[in-house]
Order: sequence, then structure tokens, then C-alpha cells
Amino acid sequence: MSDASASALSAGVQTPVLDMRGISRSFFGVEVLHKVDFSVKRGEIMGLCGENGAGKSTLMKILAGIHAPDAGEVVFKGSPVRRNATPLEMQHAGVSMIHQELNLLNELTVAQNIFLSREPRGPTGLIAYSRMNDEARRILERLGEKIDPRRKVRDLKIAQKQMVEIAKAISFNVELLVMDEPTSPLTGRETTILFELIGSLSRQGIAVVYISHRLKEIIDVCHKVTVLRDGSFVATRSVSEVTPQQIAALMVGREVKESRAADFTGDPAATVLEVRGVSDRLLKNVSFQVRRGEILGFSGLIGAGRTELMEVIFGMRRPEGGSVLIEGRPVTVRSAIDAIRADLGFVTEDRKETGLVLCRDITDNANYVSWLKNRGLFKGRKSTADSTRQIIERLRIRCSSPAQHVSNLSGGNQQKVALAKWLLSGAKVLILDEPTRGVDVGARQEIYQIIRELAAEGVAVIVVSSDLPEILSICERVIVMHEGRITGTLAASELTEAKVMYYATDVV
Amino acid sequence: MRAVEQRPGSPVIDLALRVWRDYSILVVFVVIIVICAVAAPRFILADNLLNILRNTSTVGAIALGMTLVIIAGGIDLSSGPVLAVSGAVLILLQRMVNADGSPALPLAVAIAACLAVATAFGFVNGIIVTKAQLPPFIVTLAVGIIARSLVMYFMRGATVMGNNIPQFTGIGNGSLLSFHIGSVSFPGIPIPFIVAIAMAVVFHVLLTRTKFGTYVFAVGGNENAARYSGIKVDRIRIATYMLVGLCTGIAATIEMSRMAAVAATTSGAQYEFEAITAVIVGGTSLSGGKGRIVGSIVGFIILGIVNNMMIMLNISPYLSGAVKGAVILFAVLMQRRER
Repeated sequence: MSDASASALSAGVQTPVLDMRGISRSFFGVEVLHKVDFSVKRGEIMGLCGENGAGKSTLMKILAGIHAPDAGEVVFKGSPVRRNATPLEMQHAGVSMIHQELNLLNELTVAQNIFLSREPRGPTGLIAYSRMNDEARRILERLGEKIDPRRKVRDLKIAQKQMVEIAKAISFNVELLVMDEPTSPLTGRETTILFELIGSLSRQGIAVVYISHRLKEIIDVCHKVTVLRDGSFVATRSVSEVTPQQIAALMVGREVKESRAADFTGDPAATVLEVRGVSDRLLKNVSFQVRRGEILGFSGLIGAGRTELMEVIFGMRRPEGGSVLIEGRPVTVRSAIDAIRADLGFVTEDRKETGLVLCRDITDNANYVSWLKNRGLFKGRKSTADSTRQIIERLRIRCSSPAQHVSNLSGGNQQKVALAKWLLSGAKVLILDEPTRGVDVGARQEIYQIIRELAAEGVAVIVVSSDLPEILSICERVIVMHEGRITGTLAASELTEAKVMYYATDVV
Repeated sequence: MRAVEQRPGSPVIDLALRVWRDYSILVVFVVIIVICAVAAPRFILADNLLNILRNTSTVGAIALGMTLVIIAGGIDLSSGPVLAVSGAVLILLQRMVNADGSPALPLAVAIAACLAVATAFGFVNGIIVTKAQLPPFIVTLAVGIIARSLVMYFMRGATVMGNNIPQFTGIGNGSLLSFHIGSVSFPGIPIPFIVAIAMAVVFHVLLTRTKFGTYVFAVGGNENAARYSGIKVDRIRIATYMLVGLCTGIAATIEMSRMAAVAATTSGAQYEFEAITAVIVGGTSLSGGKGRIVGSIVGFIILGIVNNMMIMLNISPYLSGAVKGAVILFAVLMQRRER
């Protein structure tokens, strides 16, 4: 096995398994890719970075046969690929793609998902389920995974679903696997398992293209990284010779400073929000305070109960006990409108599910809350238009007009609209749950800047984040949770990743 | 992506494209009228056109309320039976007379009762849909079946005549703004159509200018996001069902006034589907979050024209379903292309 992979790698040095040359592609007169070169060798793990809109997805969709290039050539395994190759042709040639959103059918079993539309058939023409299940089990074992192939996908954990996606991808004799943001739904431990798996695929001679915004992961898992910017190739570097900051600088075209937040310097007695002894099935006697102008971080593993705690505070979830005080007076928050009246704001972790009405425009989305807060039957078109224009300018939301549908905005700009809703409503306490998920590097820095400005204006900001560098760079104080309990509180000056992980895992 | 979009073509083509994108339903509408006028020249006569408007306004009134329900992500399959129930209430109250033959109750009281009953049905629909969290399709279907059955039971499946007095029948059969100048005469605009248009103006303002309207779109577009924004989703939903109920009550008043009678089995039969058809033809998305009152107006007038042309061209009434089905498919197909 090791001999085979070693020879595969040495052979691969000469011949790239994939060579894309001078790829260009336009949509509606806008050039999204401009003469991009991209090549991957056998068994190589290639990171692909770029801001949202840099052209990563389009490049990969051309590779997968979803789009045809306007110009340029794709050479796979030494032979040129037909310009109008279909996704099925590319899959049979050995290219598999795992999309950011999982493409599994919840009501079917694991095996049915893996062999969808290619089910093995028995002599009668009916599906040979036992053979299908056996083969599925064999593929899963190759991934070191012991999921029963007869289980319905609906009953699997998200990490297991990810494994099923990978199993499906490698069940075509895959030679090149594209993974788009595979770790965004995974916990730290699951991510480690995935990385081991990617390593083993690479040793089996499979080339992997790994798309991610998490630059540290790129460094950890990839051999090389290619950066795209504005549809053009910028650089390919070996990961041993770059830092995450340097990759970020290549992505945005300028130096990105990795700043560290300082300790809170405001009035320590100016408590705006106090939570006392909140408990429910998951949360265990949680108490904390946040002060005027403070940026308080909540760290912990997925499932630690941070989002649930925020939903209790915001009235979207009933606690079994405990109380919430705003500026010293107890408030009863039974629904979002109660929270809004108490000047709370909540930017949820999933903007598409709970943050935005995608099929409506920026004006509507930015004003839902402020309309609720003001009396009157009518929206007041003039004042609404004025305040919307101001917030678009203030948050630097890039859009064609306030009447643009939110669905047409990039992730970063969508997140800014979700934020705008609470700024226009004049929230005094703003809860931000994963504020930069799916947001590119440039917009991420802008959102950090907005958070700092809000705090400077006296808003108490609570940031829930699974991204440790994010916590380190903006939070003045950090509360770490583990399994529904607060296990540690750290000031910015004593904050290190190691300490956070110590409190976040079950050591305490 | 780059900010500037390069579009080929002149400003004229640009404008044409925009008109087509935003008002394609109106373009289709004009084309239909031209085709009809060519196929049957009598179609274009004022009398015929006004007659179409009068006939189609009952379904039109329901379609306006239905537009709100559908935008909020719901549907109401009980409108036809609710029209029959509230119409029956109206007729039964209106036909009560004193010994001297004068009405026992003021007409306004009978109409108010009719509107109240229809709105109450909407309230029931809304409460069950929101509080029991059942699919609106099933809830309103069941409520409709119950309503139709009750009206048939209490009226023993019969047709009941109302008190045929001009102040009642004038609502549905009258016209306003008629004039004669020399040899030119205009028979006036049918009152039912005036009522429908007045309602349409109110609903349009409600949807586009008021906070309530915005919340209706928000609830239909993304219920969860609406809830997290503090919008009282259930109340908005219930309000839309009550509004379609009120519209159905108004439609019942017009319909009863035109016939001066209510038929247990046939009053309002299929009206819910006609109204939903009008809304869909008008470009409102059945998945919620998108839609326009203007579209629904054009939608119900197109349906009226289709019905009228069937008669003009002497086509068997049995084929009307085939034609309407084709109209729905065509309309939805056009809207798919726009996206």
C-alpha cells in the first residue's frame, strides 16, 4: 500500500491529474473568470482560496461540467476534456464534487443515497438491496466509518451526513475530489477526523481540491494553496511557505492586520443585561452580565448551549428557571417582540433560515424591526428611504439600490443587512451569533469594525462564535461554555486559544 | 462580481425588456383582447365588455383576499361554500317581511350579518391553521366541506328566493356613470366592478404602503425570519384569512343581489378555484412571499374574458375547464421564463 502510494506520488510529480489553462467565463457580460490557470497533481491536496465572488465556485463548476468555459482548456488525466462535457461525464471520468450544502435525500437510506440513480440491479431488474448495502458498507469502511447503510439519512448527525457525501463521491472511481467548505457544520473533533480522512484519500492517490474560508485549516490540511482574486489567478504557494495572514493578504490584495482586542475599559458598573440562573433541559444555572459598550464573546464547542442561551434571552425559547434583567429591572421576555421592546437585538447564526426574507428587498429587511417599534399604520416611505440609504452607506452594503432583493447579495452584504435591521431599531444589547459565517475576508474585517464602532457608541455586544481567531480579535471578555454550563470567563489580556479549548472541553 | 453590468442593446430595447419583465401580464392581457376582438368582433362592444366585468367581479372580489392569503404562504379552499353560507344568511334575513310586506330588517343589517359570518369563517380557518399548526390546504378544505354540508342541511338542498326589491337587486345589477349624449350612449360601469376596483385599491395600498402588508410578504417569504424579527406571525396569518372571508362576504352580497336567491348546492360552487386561478394567472407565487394585486385584477378579468369567449364562439361549456386549465399552464409557464 505505502509502496503504491509512494510510486503514485512520484509519478504524479511529472503529470498533473488536472490541468486547467487560461479558463475564462462570463455571465451576462460580467467576466467572472479571466484566464485562470489551475493544476493539481495526483494525491495532492490543493487549497483554493478567494473572497466570495472571486470565482472559486465557477472554476469548480466548470471542472465538474456544470458550466462550460468561454475560453481555455481543461486537461484531465492527460487528455483534453470536451468543452460541453456533462456533470455525469465528468463524474465517470473521476471528478466528484461535494457542495457546501449537503445534497442528500433525508428520507432515503445511506446506501440508497450513495447509489442514487446507479442502484445495482438483480436478474429481475429490481434493485438488489443486499448487494447495495454490502457495497455501501465497504465504501464506508474504506473511510473508517461504521454507519449502518440501512439507516435513513434523516437520523444521522451532520458529521455522519458529511461522511455519506464523501462516500458517495468516492464511490465513483474518483481521482479528483472537490470539497467546498466541508468543515463549516463540523465540530473540532469531527474536523480532525475529516482531515485524517482527506490525508488517507491523498495517500491512495486521490487529488483533493479543498475550498475554505478558514485559512488555518488550509495550512493544516493542504499541501499547496491557490488564491484567486476578482476572477484572476493570483498565486499558488506551498503551505509551508505562507501564513494565514499572507494568504488573506493575497485574497484581498492588501495587508490584513491580525489585531488583538484589549481589555474592556468602560464603566464596570454599567450593567445593561444581566442573566441570572437560567436553566432548561440543556442549560444549567447560567448567569452572566454584560456592560455598556462591552464586547463579550461566547466560546465553546457546537452543542455547548450558546445559541440556546441566546434564544432564551431573546424570548424564542422558554427557560425552566432564571431571570433576565435589563438595566437592573427584571423583564419578562416571552417572544421576540418583548425582547425588541426591551431594546435587545439578535442576529441569528443562520441568516437564510431565521435572519432574512430573501425574496424581499433591502429596504424591507432592514426595517422590519423599526417598523414594529414605531406606531402607525403606514411605513412612512420618505423616512424609511432616508434611514435605509444612511444605513447602506454606514455599513457599506454593496448593492445596486435599496430595492435590490436580498437573495442577490453576497454573503457578507446579506449579513450586513441582517445587522442593519437591529441598528435601525436602536438596540442597546446586540447579540451576534456566528456573525461572519460564510462571509469573506474583506467583509469580515468590515463587520468587526462595525462591531467595535457600535461598542464605542455604548451598545453592549454579545458575540457567539466558534471561530477562535474571531473571538481573539474582537472580544474584550470571553465566556466559555461546555454542555450548558459556564466553565470559564477570561479577559482579553489573559486569552489564549489553549485556555479557551481547556474550558470548552470536558477537562473541568 | 463587478458592480457595473454590461447589457447589450439600446435604451429602447432596455425599456421594452423592463416593461416585459415587470408587466408581462399586462402585455399578455392586451394580446388576449386583440385576439378576442379579431375572433369575435362582437366581443369588443361596450355592452359585452361591461357584462364581462359584471360577471367576473364576484370571483374577483374573492381573488383579492386570496392574493393576501397566498402571499402569506396560505390558501383558502373554503371560499365557495363560505359564499353559500353567508349568502344564505343574507337571503334568509332579507326575505323576512312585516305584515304589510315591507322588510322586517334594514338591508344594512342583513348585509352586515353576511359579512360577519363570512369573516368569522376566515377567523376559524386562521385559528386552526395557526394554533393547531395544520396545513392550510387541509384545514380550509375540511372547513369548506363542512360549510357546504351545513348550508345544504339547513336549506334542505333547495334554492331559496329572496325579497326581490330594487334596493337589493340594484347592488348587483345596477350601473353608475351612464350617460346619453345625442346618439352616443354609455350604459354605465357595473356596480359590482366598481366595488371590486375600490376593494383592489384598498388592498393594493394595504400591501404596498402599510406595515401590515410588508409583514404579510415577510411571513410568506420566511416565516422564521419574520418570527425572529418580532412579527406576530400567527396574527398576520389569521388576519389574512379574515380578510379573504370578508371579501367572500362582499362577493356573496353581490352574488345574492344579482340572483335574489341562494342555491344550497350551486351558489359559489368552484369559486375558490376560480379565485386561486386568477391569483396564479396574475403572477402571485403559490410558495408565498411574492405577488401583486394588479396581477390578480388582470387575472380575474382574463378569466371573465375566457368565459365570455366560450359563449361568443359557441364552444361547449363542457370545454371551459380545458381552456382554463390551459390558461393556468400558459400563465405559469410565462412566469417561469421570466425568472
